[in-house]
Amino acid sequence: MKAITESGRRSRHWLRQQGLAVRPWLYAAVVAGLLQTLAIIAQMGLIAWLVHAVLIAKAPYSSLLWPGVGLGLAVVLRALAQAVQERCGQHASVRVRQTAREQLAADWADLGPIRLADRSSAALTNQWVEQAEALDGYYARYLPQQWLALLSPLLILLLVFWLDWLAALFLLLAAPLIPLFMALIGMSAEKVSQQHVLEAGRLAGHFLDRVRSLTSLQLFGQVGAATQSVQDAAERYRSVTMRTLRIAFLSSAVLEFFASVAIAVVAMYIGFGLLGYIQYGPAAQLTLFSGLLILLLAPEFFQPLRSLAQSYHDRAAALAAAEGMAALQDEAANIDSQSESAKQGADGICIRQLSLSYPGRGAVLTDISLQISAGQVVALTGSSGSGKSSLLHCIAGFVNPDSGSLTILGHLPGEQPLAWLGQRPFLIQGSWAENLRLTAPQASTEEMSRAIEAVGLGALLGAQRNGLDTVLGEGGRGLSGGQAQRLALARVWLSTADVVLLDEPTASLDEQSEAEVITALRGLAASGKTLIIATHHPALMALADRRYVLNSGRLTDA
Amino acid sequence: MHELKPWLALIMQRRSRLVVGALLLALTLFSAIGLLALSGWFITATGVTALLWAAGQRVMFDVYMPGGGIRFFALTRTVARYSERVYNHNTVLSLLADLRGRHFAALALLDGATLSRLRAAQWLNRLTADIDTLDTLYLRLLAPPVVALLGITLVCGLIAVFHLSLALLLGAVLLGLLLFLTLGMALFGLHYSARRVEQLDYLRVQAVEQLQGLAELTAAGTLGLHRQRLLASSQQILDEQLILQGRIALGQGLATLGVMATVLLGLFGAMQAYAAGLLSGPIMVMIPLALMALSEGFAGLPAAFAQFGGTRAAAARLNQQTSMSSRLVDPAQPLPMPTDVTLQWHDIGVHHAGIQGFNLTLARNERLAVIGPSGSGKSTLAALAARLLDPDSGQLLVSGMPLLELPLQEWRTQLGYLTQQTELLHDSVAANLLLGNPGASNEQLWAVLEMVDLADLVDGLPTGLNTWVGESGKQFSGGEGRRLVLARVLLKNAPLVILDEPFSGLDAATRERVSARLEPWLADRTALLLGHDAALLPKVDRVVALSAL
Repeated sequence: MKAITESGRRSRHWLRQQGLAVRPWLYAAVVAGLLQTLAIIAQMGLIAWLVHAVLIAKAPYSSLLWPGVGLGLAVVLRALAQAVQERCGQHASVRVRQTAREQLAADWADLGPIRLADRSSAALTNQWVEQAEALDGYYARYLPQQWLALLSPLLILLLVFWLDWLAALFLLLAAPLIPLFMALIGMSAEKVSQQHVLEAGRLAGHFLDRVRSLTSLQLFGQVGAATQSVQDAAERYRSVTMRTLRIAFLSSAVLEFFASVAIAVVAMYIGFGLLGYIQYGPAAQLTLFSGLLILLLAPEFFQPLRSLAQSYHDRAAALAAAEGMAALQDEAANIDSQSESAKQGADGICIRQLSLSYPGRGAVLTDISLQISAGQVVALTGSSGSGKSSLLHCIAGFVNPDSGSLTILGHLPGEQPLAWLGQRPFLIQGSWAENLRLTAPQASTEEMSRAIEAVGLGALLGAQRNGLDTVLGEGGRGLSGGQAQRLALARVWLSTADVVLLDEPTASLDEQSEAEVITALRGLAASGKTLIIATHHPALMALADRRYVLNSGRLTDA
Repeated sequence: MHELKPWLALIMQRRSRLVVGALLLALTLFSAIGLLALSGWFITATGVTALLWAAGQRVMFDVYMPGGGIRFFALTRTVARYSERVYNHNTVLSLLADLRGRHFAALALLDGATLSRLRAAQWLNRLTADIDTLDTLYLRLLAPPVVALLGITLVCGLIAVFHLSLALLLGAVLLGLLLFLTLGMALFGLHYSARRVEQLDYLRVQAVEQLQGLAELTAAGTLGLHRQRLLASSQQILDEQLILQGRIALGQGLATLGVMATVLLGLFGAMQAYAAGLLSGPIMVMIPLALMALSEGFAGLPAAFAQFGGTRAAAARLNQQTSMSSRLVDPAQPLPMPTDVTLQWHDIGVHHAGIQGFNLTLARNERLAVIGPSGSGKSTLAALAARLLDPDSGQLLVSGMPLLELPLQEWRTQLGYLTQQTELLHDSVAANLLLGNPGASNEQLWAVLEMVDLADLVDGLPTGLNTWVGESGKQFSGGEGRRLVLARVLLKNAPLVILDEPFSGLDAATRERVSARLEPWLADRTALLLGHDAALLPKVDRVVALSAL
């Protein structure tokens, strides 16, 4: 329970923080909203006055012209103020959504690829796109309306009080009950809504995952079962959403009830008062003008509260979205900053007593000390799970070690660009050139062609219709596993970085490609770059000047 | 409009629910009109009666009938509103659950080539966002204009009882307004709302790509640059949204202006009629008040119809997707499955893989290795056998019978195929294995894990078989993930086995161990093994070498 209120406070704090930057727009929306209320009061007042003038005062029609014109103006002002209020809210919302996205993207960078590995990229994308959009209603409508729900009824109440304090008392009695009920309902709506967001993220992940694995599902004849599971997930989503909505609608029904009953009571009171059935209080002073005006203002008294209730789920949605965003932000902020030690070994890579452990997996690297001079080619070997990838992650700066020090050419990890190639090739949907320019934005056509040549894809590129501008996978023609890996490898050649980290670069290459890759790697090594290769391929080990074997996170010289 | 036809037809299957939902909506609006109009009439009538009483006239005034009416409308309004909301949302959401399941089933019929043309992130958008967008169809686009129309009819019908020409005039103005707020707003927002869905789609793809390339981009120090691009895309999309929202704000202002203008028109018209002695005072007040209550029926229209372009675009995309699912179908009259599997690639041609006039026979219980560099078409041969792909020319024969004539699903049950790509579900280890054989016991799961040398590793995990596999198997190393999908194929226990680079990413020692354990399992099966090097595969009877393109 404490954890829930804790996270709720964090979400609210986060939302408030975002609101500070767009305060002028929010204030402008509130001012426009108040102007709208004033226009409504003028409109209703003039209508009641005209009716009274015609029916009771029997005023000559010629005297009604200017009030009529005034009525028209009040209506125009009302519509205008409404549009302006909405516009200001929209501006606030757009700013906030962009800021939230900026922050999330920065958090991704701070957390890095390894800490984010246990989150699905679909859920993170959903947070970045959809959850950021979910902030819209809160800033565009809810926040200005929160003020208006207090101020507009107050304006109307003052006027009604002046007209007939007993009628004002009816409205006043109904009004505080509403926020009370809404708060009660809203509290449970908040919890349900958080679950709703979680479920929406899971649904997105579930889909993406099943679609990615469609081939396997087809081959194992599990399409029927997967379809059922997709349907079940959607059904679960429906039931969770319905739970949110039932409660959200309940809060508006409560409002609707009080608003309707208050109008009915006011109408009865005024009617009986006008007939003279009510002898006490101010009822005797009621006229058709004041009575009709009170009746016309009664729905407007509740309207701001109703608008607020309608956007109440906007608040719940924003809180739930904020929860995830604040959590990610906190996680990013909690990363231990590197313990800065005296810069040592200005050239080469210097690792001193480095240890790393992951929660749930225990020690991954223990007391590693290693000196790699610039230009050296080093092979890290060891069985799967021995920690060779983790050591590369530390050198690349994706994770910070628990203890020990690490410098690369005199810099801390992550300060200087490195060339990296993982176990799985990373390719985007786009042309060959776009893929190559991912890590080398300035690369020229010649440089790219040379890199392609270096990884042995020259012939394949030559066969492409539009050369480097050919889109990958166009016309159903994809790259084979080895070709994809080599294209990713070509980026390493384009890189100007002095240190190259390769994580099992030949795992999916055939002998011929492998030989080409090794040749090119040798050329790269000769050019003075430092290569650190995690591999268990004998040919690559042979290429290395030094070989280190990792065994359960400990280093032994081979 | 034709894009929406199939969806309208689908929605109309739940006609009775839709009608009930629309009636509840109409009842809510009618109660609001009744409440305000009757209250106005009542107050004016009491005011006028009081005036007559003051003048000493004895007129009867029944306060109980209108009083009861006012209370009745107040209650029906509350009840109708709540039931309408719950009922209609439930209808729409159950429709959506249906749609999702049905669409996934349609996707699942697509062949490998078509699947690879689209990408997972886009599929996701189609399945969730597009279908979500279509929920606007009933609740925002179909029911509200109908209910508004019913409201106009009711109010104008009521006015017509007292003043026909005024009712006709007001009716004409209100219909014009309704037309503007629906069709007009749809046209006004068409361009930007249609683009919005596309742009969010693009944004999503960009975000997924950045997340997947986080390692390389971080290392290369270009992450900052790519983040700027990503945020620039987001800003551009938000700017365009702001244009669309501006039009919506304008539309909503105009809706208020339009309704209030009719209120004034009704008031002035009624005042004139009163002066001419055509109307009583209370009726003169009732007319503008009924019109005022009608505004509720118009309020949501501009926002809903400005998004019409987005709804139409989403429908068009979904339609395109269903029309694609026509390839790789079962034969109309499948031949019976042969009991004995000899597989023959006969004069096969596949254009995009550069295969032409290819012949190969895999005899029963033969163990054959096809060796070749990447790009030589090995995986294509396997895909042909699994019917993930049909050849452009030539045919596959199973014991002399054309594969195309055999029942597809039944054929696939005969086949255990380890694809070159490691596909793991974001689910538990057990769930991933059970794909191979949903009925397998825990003992069977441990047995196959033992064969691929993963039993110790899984046993050492705190939650064992129930351990969650990270997305695309990220929490398992490349080699471990590879062995996990191999175990899945073993669990399927099919008579015909195709293993495409089964040991990629495995170190020599592990490869030796797994290879030895596979030996007895492969003994009485027909097996096709694909790889770069026969030495890296289990022992085979025969090796065929393919040359590179």
